Parts: sequence; structure tokens; C-alpha cells
Amino acid sequence: MTTLSERLIEEIRELPAKYPQPRSAVMPALDLAQEEAGYLTAEAMSEVAAALKLDPGYVEGVATFYTLFHLQPIGKHRFYVCTNLSCTLRGANEIVEHVKGAIGVHEAGELSKDGLFSYEEVECLGACEYAPVMRLDHRYEKDLTNQKIDGLIAERRNPIPSPPRGEGQQGGAPGAGFARPGASRGESPLKGEGRKPAAAPRRRTKKSG
Amino acid sequence: MAEQRGTVGGPVLTEWFATADLHKLNVYESLGGYSALRKVVKEMTAAQVIDEVKASGLRGRGGADFPTATKWSFVPKDHPGPKYIVVNADESEPGSAKDRYLMENSPHMLIEGAAIASFAIGGHAAWIYIRGEYDLPFEMLRDAISEAHAKGYLGDQPFGTDYPLDVRLYRGHGAYICGEETALLESLEGKRAQPRSRPPFPAVKGAWGMPTAVNNVETLSTVPWIMRHGGAEYAKRGTEKSKGTRMVTVSGDVQKPGNYEIEIGVTYRHIIEELAGGPMPGRKIKVFWPGGSSAKVLPASMLDTSTDLDGLKALGTMGGSGGIIVMDDSHCVVKGAARLLRFYAFESCGKCTPCRVGGNWAVRTYERILAGQGSQIELGILERVSDGLQNGRCLCGLGDAAGWVIESTMRHFRNEYEEHCLHNVCSVEAALVNA
Repeated sequence: MTTLSERLIEEIRELPAKYPQPRSAVMPALDLAQEEAGYLTAEAMSEVAAALKLDPGYVEGVATFYTLFHLQPIGKHRFYVCTNLSCTLRGANEIVEHVKGAIGVHEAGELSKDGLFSYEEVECLGACEYAPVMRLDHRYEKDLTNQKIDGLIAERRNPIPSPPRGEGQQGGAPGAGFARPGASRGESPLKGEGRKPAAAPRRRTKKSG
Repeated sequence: MAEQRGTVGGPVLTEWFATADLHKLNVYESLGGYSALRKVVKEMTAAQVIDEVKASGLRGRGGADFPTATKWSFVPKDHPGPKYIVVNADESEPGSAKDRYLMENSPHMLIEGAAIASFAIGGHAAWIYIRGEYDLPFEMLRDAISEAHAKGYLGDQPFGTDYPLDVRLYRGHGAYICGEETALLESLEGKRAQPRSRPPFPAVKGAWGMPTAVNNVETLSTVPWIMRHGGAEYAKRGTEKSKGTRMVTVSGDVQKPGNYEIEIGVTYRHIIEELAGGPMPGRKIKVFWPGGSSAKVLPASMLDTSTDLDGLKALGTMGGSGGIIVMDDSHCVVKGAARLLRFYAFESCGKCTPCRVGGNWAVRTYERILAGQGSQIELGILERVSDGLQNGRCLCGLGDAAGWVIESTMRHFRNEYEEHCLHNVCSVEAALVNA
């Protein structure tokens, strides 16, 4: 009896052929294993290693290097909240506190009682113009507020109407701002790409960096 | 301050971004997309492509400012086996979001650029290494690549020629260090992402041991425009040695954070105050990171600094990845630096001792300072650690960047450090409480 399904093992065995050298398949394989098993157990990693004809220690060494591989149980929905500088300047630490309270956990990685949620503080997600941001269920949630967090949690606790995935998130506002040197003060660029001004300067709290 | 040339031409990268559904092949093509790749594979030689890009003066937009055509010309022409273009789409530099913006708006632009680059180095496959967190850009690129295959623009006979071209995707799984090109190559090969010692350089021994040119998303996204309009037209933009336009991401304490395409040579004041709307009402800009968190900070008194790449280098900082982080007078520089050091310490791959040990040392020192346990000793430790992290003591630039954060914030804001260390006071917070 294996942890991973026969079908998945078969899929993993076919991965190496897709790359110039078979070893490149290790991350895609771990990805598949994690998707199926929820997180990477020692057994799952061993089975990946066997399917790829690699040493289990090697596979575990790769898994432990990258933050998106989880070796502990995690929530079905994970809040990856960015707390790097740009997000912290716009209140990311308050967002983290709110998430903790809303899902009822005390520390990163801890599962909520219903097993649905966990959170992690992560480094820059590369969406700094929408700070504070987080990644949730393979999509970015931008311009976070406490109300928005509450809404996202409620949708996932009672997911009846429609899956809250991905619609209308493409790109960011169209139309590029193009600045020309020497433009005088007050002259607007050809097109504005900036976002709407935030309401007011945020007060600093003890926790923000 | 570098020269500011007169207005020439319009946007390059974002030229078509106002068009709806630009991510779809038929829309992209209706505007002129894929005409560059068609021309390249049907009518040009690899040397001609490199010459055209050379004429444009294009320099890499991933942070190193290295001339793109020169990088391509380093790839040996007579190598018998495969050669690769590897696209660095691992954008993880704090403050930088422009590659995501480009890929989400126009994935075909990157695919076309990557295919042209492959042709230029005499290769047949480009691998896009994209960070794992970028789900949406990944899906858009995946769909765009299959569209290009279905249309016969990629594959065994692109545009009916006998020059096979393919663009492949590889997902990262969360590691800042993968933005460093040799760490990225290690990761692409299925290993822990630890930088390689050089030589050999990737141009000689890169991905899977084969000659490789690693290019940034923005760099390659610029290439189709250059091939359509000519290198000389691109070179009309920008400053004498920093040609063209570039993307910047403005974030932090500004009214209109966003991604903007600028002509190189405009000032940071123009970007931050005009394009990004300036500081929040009632606030003053205190400091900014001109090119990602790894670029040495500049105080607000230097807002008139030009975005000219060599001018920034002469100031000891860099245009880097174009991520401009703005901090206003309601935020404490020491706390900002402490947060960034936590980042660099966490992201250190652990291979080189100065970076592995120095980063954590700095973090613990900042923690003592912010807990009110600082003294002259802590100031001295930060200075020594900052020095120990820098000056080529490590295989890659991560350690240097961590050192630069400490050094540059201490140089310009020594008063805030001394307040914290010697008097256990944060005047920034005190001002907020009293306001």
C-alpha cells in the first residue's frame, strides 16, 4: 500500500522524459505529490524518489530547500501573507494579526480547528503595487483590508454560490504610464497606470517594520 | 545629474497594453505581434539579429545592466550540442513587480522575444523559469505557448521554416536565490538552488551543462519591438549610455503605487511625485530604494537623481530591477532595515559563510536594538557585519545586498540608529504619538 496513488506514480515516472536531464523532474514530481497528498510525508518523498530512481535523501534535500513544499500538514486554504517592506509599509502586520484572529490560530503553520485554514508570513510576492497582498488558493488577493479577509474566509467556510477563484484578476489596470524626460510639473503622462490614492496615511504601530 | 534628453517617441513595452485581450494570440498578432519573429526566422541570420540588438544598446533589466547583445555573442557559435535561452521569470526582488505585470498583460511578447533570442544564439529551446507563486502568469504563458504552437509559430517548422523553436516552462517553488542566474540553473536542473562558482560562466556551461544565456523577462519582452522598429529607433530613447525605456514598480508610501514605463533618464522625483502621485497627504518622503531592496537607499534630498544606469552606479547604488520602494516620515528606517535583513538572512542559501552567518548576526543585532538593548557596541557590530557581507566575499550578490541595506541606511540615517542604540528612542514613533 503506497501513500501516492498508482496513477500518480505512473505520471511521475513519465516526467523525466520531458526534460533534457531526468533530475529536473524532481520539483514537478514533488509538486504533484504534494497536490495529491496535501503535504509531503517521508513516505511520499520516498515514493517520488523511487519513481525517479533518485536517493530519498536527495529528494528530501530538494523539498526542504523551497518554501512552497510543505513537510507538515497545512490548511486546505493557506494564507500566504507578504510582510516584506512594501507590504509592511501599508499595514501587512495588522493584516497578519487579523488573519490569526479570524481563523483562530496563534502561530504560522498552525491549523484552524476545522482544518480549513492556516497562514504563513512570506517574503515579497512580486505584487508590491497592490500592497498589502497575499496568495490564497493559487490567486493573489490584493489591497487587503480586514473586511476583505473576513469575506474571503466566509466564502470558504460556506462555499455554496460559486467558487471564489480567479475572475477578473488579469493584468492590473490596462494602459501604461509612459513618462517622458523633461515633462514639466503637472503635465500628466500619456496614460495613467497608477492606482487610486489610498484614503489616508496609515498610522504606524509597534509591530510594523 | 545625468543629462535629460528631449522627448522622443512613445512607449515600447506597454505600447499595446490599452488593448483588451492582448494576451490572446489573435489580438497580439493584429497589432503586429509575431511579425518580428516571422522576419527573423524567414529573412535574417543570427548575426544580423545580434547586430540589431547591439545597435539598440539594450542592457539587461534583471539588475546587472549587462548589454544583451554582448551576452548573446558570448555563447559559442560552433558548439555541437544544444544551447539554451533561460528566461529568468523568478522575480522576487522586494519592490519589483514589473515582470509579473508584463507577463500578465502580454505573455506573447515574452514568448516572441524568447524565441528570437534562441534563434540569435543558435539554439532551439528557451526555458522560462517562473516563480511558483506566479500562478496566473504561469497559466497565461502556458496557454499562450500552446496557442503559438497551434498556429505554427513555434514547433518543428515555425512559419514554415526548418528551424525548430520551442519555449518551455519550469516552475520554481519559492526561493529568492533563484533570481541569481547560476542558482536558477541549479534549480532548473532539479537541485537545491545554490549559486555556482564562476568560471565557467553560463555562456560556456549553463543549463544542463550546455551553453546558455540567461535573460530577464523585461529584457526579452523588449526584443520584438527592437526587431520591428530597428535598433537605431530604440537607441533614440534614453541617455547616452543607458538606451531605451524600462519598467519601474513604485510601491510603499505613495498615493498611486503602480508599474510605469519610463524613458531612462527621467528623475526619481518625476517618477515618485508625478507618476506615483507623491507622498500621502500631510507626509514627506524620507528615503527611497531606487532599484529593489538590494539597491543602496537614497535620501529624499536626492530625488532629482536621474534613472541613468551609470549615473546610479557612480553614486554607489543601482537601477537594479526597477523596484522603487518609497518610505515617508511616518516610518522608521531602522525598522525598515531590520525587516529587510530578516529577509536576506532567511533567503540566504547557506553556501557561503559570510552570508549564512552574517545575515543572522545582523538580524539578532537589530532585534536587540529594537528591544531597547542597543548600545555603541551594536552600532559597531552592524558596521563590521555590513563590511563582512560585502566586497565579493560570497559567490553571489545576496550577501552584498544585505550589507548594502545596513551600510546605506546607516550612512544616511545615522541619527535614527543612534537614537535607537544610545537613547532607546524612536523619534518617528514619538512624533506619531504626539501628533
